[in-house]
Formats: sequence, C-alpha cells, structure tokens
Amino acid sequence: MSYQKLFETKVSGEAAKAWQAQGKKAVGYVCCHVPEEIFYAADVLPIRLRATDCVDSSDAETWMTSFSCSFARSILQYLIDGTYKLDGLVQTDGCMMPARIMDNWEHISKKEGKDQFTHFIGAPRITNDISTGFYKSELQELVDAISKFSGVEVTDERLKAAIAKTNEMRSLMDQVYALRTAEKPVVSGAEVLSIALAECDHHIDDYIQMLKDFLADAKNRKPIEARSRLMIIGSALDNPEYIKVIEEKGGIVVADDLCFGYRAFGPQLEVDDSDVLGSIAKYYLKRNVCPRSLDNRPAMHKEIIDMAKKYNVQGVIYQKMQNCECWGGEAYYLEPDLKAIGVPMLQLEREEHMANAGQLAVRAEAFIEMLEK
Amino acid sequence: MSKPRQNFDPTKPVNMIDLTCEQVDSIYQHMLTKGMPEIMWTVEIQKFTWEEIRDAHKNGKKLIAFGGPVPVTIMRAFDCVPFFLDTIPTRIASMEDLCGRFIDETEKYAPQSMCAIDKAQLGVMLKGELGVQVDAFVHATVPCDSARIAYPMMERLMDCPCFTFDCPFRHDDKGFKYVAEQIESFIPFMEELTGLKWDDERKAKFKEINEESNRAYELLIQLGDLRKKTPCVLPGRMLVLNAIIAPLAGTPEVTEMLQTQLDMGNMLADMGMTATRCPEERYRVCLMQNMLWSNTGIMDWMEKTYGAITVMDGFGYQDGVILSDLDNWETVKYEMAKMMLLVPMIHGATGPTEYWLKSIDKMYEEYSVNVSIFMGHVGCKHTWASGKIVTDYIQEKYGLPTLYVDVDAIDPRYKSNDELRAQIGEYMESVVGAHNFTKDA
Ligand code: SF4
Ligand code: SF4
Repeated sequence: MSYQKLFETKVSGEAAKAWQAQGKKAVGYVCCHVPEEIFYAADVLPIRLRATDCVDSSDAETWMTSFSCSFARSILQYLIDGTYKLDGLVQTDGCMMPARIMDNWEHISKKEGKDQFTHFIGAPRITNDISTGFYKSELQELVDAISKFSGVEVTDERLKAAIAKTNEMRSLMDQVYALRTAEKPVVSGAEVLSIALAECDHHIDDYIQMLKDFLADAKNRKPIEARSRLMIIGSALDNPEYIKVIEEKGGIVVADDLCFGYRAFGPQLEVDDSDVLGSIAKYYLKRNVCPRSLDNRPAMHKEIIDMAKKYNVQGVIYQKMQNCECWGGEAYYLEPDLKAIGVPMLQLEREEHMANAGQLAVRAEAFIEMLEK
Repeated sequence: MSKPRQNFDPTKPVNMIDLTCEQVDSIYQHMLTKGMPEIMWTVEIQKFTWEEIRDAHKNGKKLIAFGGPVPVTIMRAFDCVPFFLDTIPTRIASMEDLCGRFIDETEKYAPQSMCAIDKAQLGVMLKGELGVQVDAFVHATVPCDSARIAYPMMERLMDCPCFTFDCPFRHDDKGFKYVAEQIESFIPFMEELTGLKWDDERKAKFKEINEESNRAYELLIQLGDLRKKTPCVLPGRMLVLNAIIAPLAGTPEVTEMLQTQLDMGNMLADMGMTATRCPEERYRVCLMQNMLWSNTGIMDWMEKTYGAITVMDGFGYQDGVILSDLDNWETVKYEMAKMMLLVPMIHGATGPTEYWLKSIDKMYEEYSVNVSIFMGHVGCKHTWASGKIVTDYIQEKYGLPTLYVDVDAIDPRYKSNDELRAQIGEYMESVVGAHNFTKDA
C-alpha cells in the first residue's frame, strides 16, 4: 500500500469493507476514551468516526437540533446516510455530544431495522484510584461484550499483542512529530493532520507500514519556508483544509494539541503484566486528550506550554467549534500563561462545514503579520 | 427597548449576597405590610436560605459552595452551611440587570452558547462579587459540558479546598456503588476541613439530620401525589419553590415549608378548589426540560388564560429516595448515592435518553398530562439533542404533539414575555384548541 494514502482525507470506508468481506466485524467509536487495543484483541476493526467533508447534516439536525456541536451532528449524519456502513458503535461520554450520537443512532438504527452492536463505556471525569477502578470495570464489560460479539475471546495475551502494535504506532507518530521541530520542517501542518486522520480508516498493520514508508522517504522532501511557526489547539478538527487555509497565508503549523492530532496517539502505554486491563484503564484515563475532565486543566495547560516551547512556536491558534463547551473556556488561564512565554493566541470560531474559509484566511493573515512585527 | 431598571449602582462593585438578602427581605416586608399571611411561608424559606449563607461565618460555621448532586446532609452533620451555587442564577434570573451583569462578564472569556446557569455563577466569581468567602467547594461531574468550563475555573477562583464527585453515566447498582465509594472518601475530606471527627457524636447528628431530610422528602412525595389529583390545587410556581430542597434537606425550615404547602393544598382540595384561577382546570401541562426561572410568571399566565396547570416538570420530578435504615452506614451511603443519581436527567445527573423516557412515562401517566411543552433552555444542548427521541415517544405513546419553545431559563433578555406568550398562546389555541378565558372579560 503506497504511503500516499496517508494524504487521502476523505472518509473512504474501504478498510471496513475489506475487513467485513472476510466475515469479520468493523465497529465505530467517537471519543478518545474507547481503547482501540480492546477491538484489535477481539479481532474487530476499530473505526474512529469523523465527519471530514460533511457539507450537509440536516438529517442529523432533525435529531440533535442546531444547538448541538456540528462535529457530532455530522458524524450522526454519516451514520444515517450510510457513509459509514459498520456493524456497530461503541461510545463514551467524552462529552455529552458524542453520548447523544449513541442515543440517537441506537434509536434510528432500531427503527430502521438495522442490526447494530452498541455498547456504552462510562468514562470518569476525574482521575483517582476509585475512578480508575470504575473505568477498568467499564472496560471489562466492553471486553466481555465485544468477545461475545466477535466470537474471539479477549485474553491478556491478545491485549498485550495489540498494545505492542499501538505502541509501535505511537513511536512512529513521535518520529513524524519530530520532523516538525526542524527549523524548516519537511511536512506541513495540514499534511500531519492528514497522516493522523488516516489512522481512522486503516487497519493498524497497514497504517504502521505506511508510516514507516513515509518516514523513510521524509529525507527526500523539500523543507518548507514559512513566515511564522504556529500551534493549533481546540475542538475536534478533522479537516486538514482548515490548516491549509492558514498555511497558505504563510504560517506553518508545527505543533498541535488536537484530539485528532498528537492527543490521539500520546506517549507509550506501559503494561503491568499482572494487570493488563488496569494498565489500559490507567493510561486512557490519565492521558489528557481534551478538557472534558474536571481535574486536568493545569496539567493540560502545562503540556501546551511545554509543547509550544519544544516546537519553538510563535503563535497559537485556538479554534472552537460552535456549541462546543468542552473547549470553550481555556483562554482565561491559558492566554496569560502563553503570554508569559511570549506567545500570543488567536481565537477562532468554526463549524464542521468550512463555510467561512475567506474569513479564516483574513484572520490568519492578520495574525501572521502581527507575529512578524 | 426600554432601559432595564437598575437595582444597584452598576458603576460600583456589587455584593451579590447582600443584594439578594436585601431583595428577598424587601419582598418579605412588602408582604408583611400588605398582610398576606397565607403566602408568607413562600418567602420565609428564601429569606432563611440567603441569610443562612450570609451569616454562616458569623454563626461559627464553615460555608461550603457546591454544584450538582452532592451529599449535603454530611456537610450539615459537620456543622457546615451548604451553599448551592445554582441558587445564584435561579434567584437572580428575575433581576435582569444583575443577571446580565454576571452573564456578560463570563461571555468575555467563554462562549455565548454556554448554559446561563453556569455563566451567571461563574460571572459572579470572575467579578469577585460573591460577597462571602467560601471555605470549600464540593461539586459533581454533572453532565453539562458548560460545567466543564465553569467548575474548574471556579475552583481556581475560589482558591479553597475542593472535592469532586464523579457522577457515572449509568444509574444502576454499579453506578450507585461507585458513588457510595466516593461518599466514603468524602468523610476524611470533611474531617480535615472542619477539624471535627466522624465519631459517635457526629454520627448521631448525621442520623438526626437524615431523619429530618427523610421527613422533607416524604412530604415532597405527598405533594407530588397531591398534584396527581384532578383538579390540581397547587400552582406550577410551587414546583419552582420546591427545588430549594436541594441545599436545605435536613433543616426543619424546609420541612416546615413543605408541610405548610401540603396542609394548604389539602385544605384547598377539601374545598374543591383548583389552582387555575379559571372557572375550571382544562389542561394539565408537563414542562419537559428546565424551569423557566427567568419568567416563572408564564405558568401563572397559562393558568389564568387557558385553565392550564403545570402539574409537573422535568426538573422538579423526583423519584424521592427515602433512606431506609439510618443505623446502617453501608445502606445509607448506597441510598444517598441513589438519591444523587436519580435526580432528574438535566443538570443533576447524567445518563442516556432512556432514563428520561422512564420519567416521561411516570409523569405523563401518573399526572394525567394532556399538554406537552418542551420549554428548552438553549444552554442545555444535551437535552435538546435528546428532544426528538423524547417527543416522538410522547406522540407515539400518548398521542400528544409537543410544543418546542426555545428559552433561556436564566437570561431574561433572550426572549420577551410577549414573544413567549405569543408562541404558547398560538399553540394552545390552534393546536390544543384551548379557549382563552381572558377574552371573556
Ligand atoms: S469536545 Fe467539542 S468538538 Fe468534541 S464532540 Fe464535544 S462538543 Fe463536539
Ligand atoms: S440547564 Fe442543562 S446545561 Fe444548564 S446546568 Fe442544567 S443540565 Fe447543565
């Protein structure tokens, strides 16, 4: 498989189709608190749902109303209109919007007589021993349900094999991100987001191979000249076009704190052989993917600051999806922290469907100009 | 648009607690002078609530701010005053100028789409105008995403010891046990905060408070039963008032208020009265989402205009858990956890839409509802996102079409009273076919 597929951002459904053709199951999920390792251990293909290129979510709006976040709404749209043809959905209450995708999809699919495997995992919003224990027991219920569904028993050995693969993927992704520390990186922000998104649509073995091929070829890529180095943070961003518009104005996005970007991968998952599932629970609950938790803000902000320093960032773009409260209130503490290290922040509002590219270009250009002064 | 009346000097700092106490007191004095003894109890309880908060330190007690479902009777057993932060927005919702002051402050840093319940309380903190120093902040991970903005910020702004309860999505045995375990770990927090021990004396006090709390919840159940009768003698407003049980459970004051309400209701029922203020009760309304704190008068208007009584609402509806064995700490913890999770599906608790359907069944069947209104608070996006499932269900199972009205439960600037009346009026007259009694006059 050519690594060029890493840059195809459209939701393809090819991997799921090929997997299902072997008589196996492909199941979707939305938030970062659904561990993929459990799916792989059950020989189920996990498809992280996204809504890239969704231009009309009116069917889903009937169910979730215009007060919902358009990212979540557009995913429901893709489930309704058959862009996703999967065998089921596993969901957590990452925030309440994905939780409602589950409610509505369960309801709609039942109404339409579609046979779907659905399972909900409660993901605590604080991290301590009690909540980690609870989350582990929620994961155990998923293990039991998915084993039954796929007919493959999830054992510690199978989980460890899956972790070995996801860890390999994480370290390859670290290498991709390391390319961005260079003064003139060979990969743009839009390209990195595409690479990260490709994980949603491919089996991990194929994905690992593509990452390796890409990295091997990276030295042949042309360094990118840019007027300023940027970092992007905020709501779920599954559209590389958005970053492309910013980069076309002369900046280069060299770092991110996105749940479809670096946050989706994160550091290595350390396994304690005596408690494999517990290790997964600890890892996924502690990893700061977004401000959904009530006790992770100072740590998240510190990580953002550290990342800004590491990637030598000159400005941060904080994009917020309309009606996304999870990512709504970070500016109050984060902006002064960034200011203290001399990094200004630009706040932007957006919707899943990129209707205001012109306005984005104008704001991005003004910000980049301001950084140059 | 006419300029809102200011009840404070907007150029000067405000003391929110003092201002609220003054406002409640002036209503109280007004009622005294007008000689309205039959309804004094509705204000007395509010006076108690706010003055208890204002005077906590004067009375040698620690003041604990809280948000979401938390075990308030444990706080009272440790001699603390629980201060439910949601009472800030719900109280000031009718004071357009004050409410706007705090909401606007939050909107400088957070999205306008955020729930105004959180916006108003966060705004008070951002402005530093609470007027009292809190000694601790205890909150729960309520479902609303807006709280994820507000609570962590308030934690830092209050700069005091904090404790967070994690509310699981599931409300079943496993979920109850999870919360019960957290209640156990709350005890050492309270010991450290107050310097008091969870010893026999404390436990005896706790038992006493829970006995009182049980009495209050039993009265709430009886009041619910009274509302089931046709005609309904209790106006919709009482549902709003009864929400005060959240911070006051375990105090004789709230028990007394509920008892008075029940006595009065029973007396009116014996007299064959109705709460409609119309010749007869024609419609039994269920308001399905949050309460319209910014315009509770709308329920009076429906009663007067169409003989339509709000018999229940999605906010006030409670299953009413009574603690069964106060000498058994394990049972108490478990049942308290149940209480915390079984509050209605909006702010109080998390959970799948299915739980909401269960309360719909109870409300629509037991209260003989024949008018269904989704008075949807715009900030509450997770309930809007369940709205169609719920209203389709009502249509299919009960044959009732539901009116959707978007409102801001807290910010009165969102929709004028006239606009709201026009929307409800049109629905009542053209869909329900209701007669407008005010046109007879
Ligand atoms: S965190 Fe924000 S962008 Fe992500 S699903 Fe929730 S509301 Fe939408
Ligand atoms: S109204 Fe909704 S969003 Fe607002 S506090 Fe209540 S549950 Fe949360």
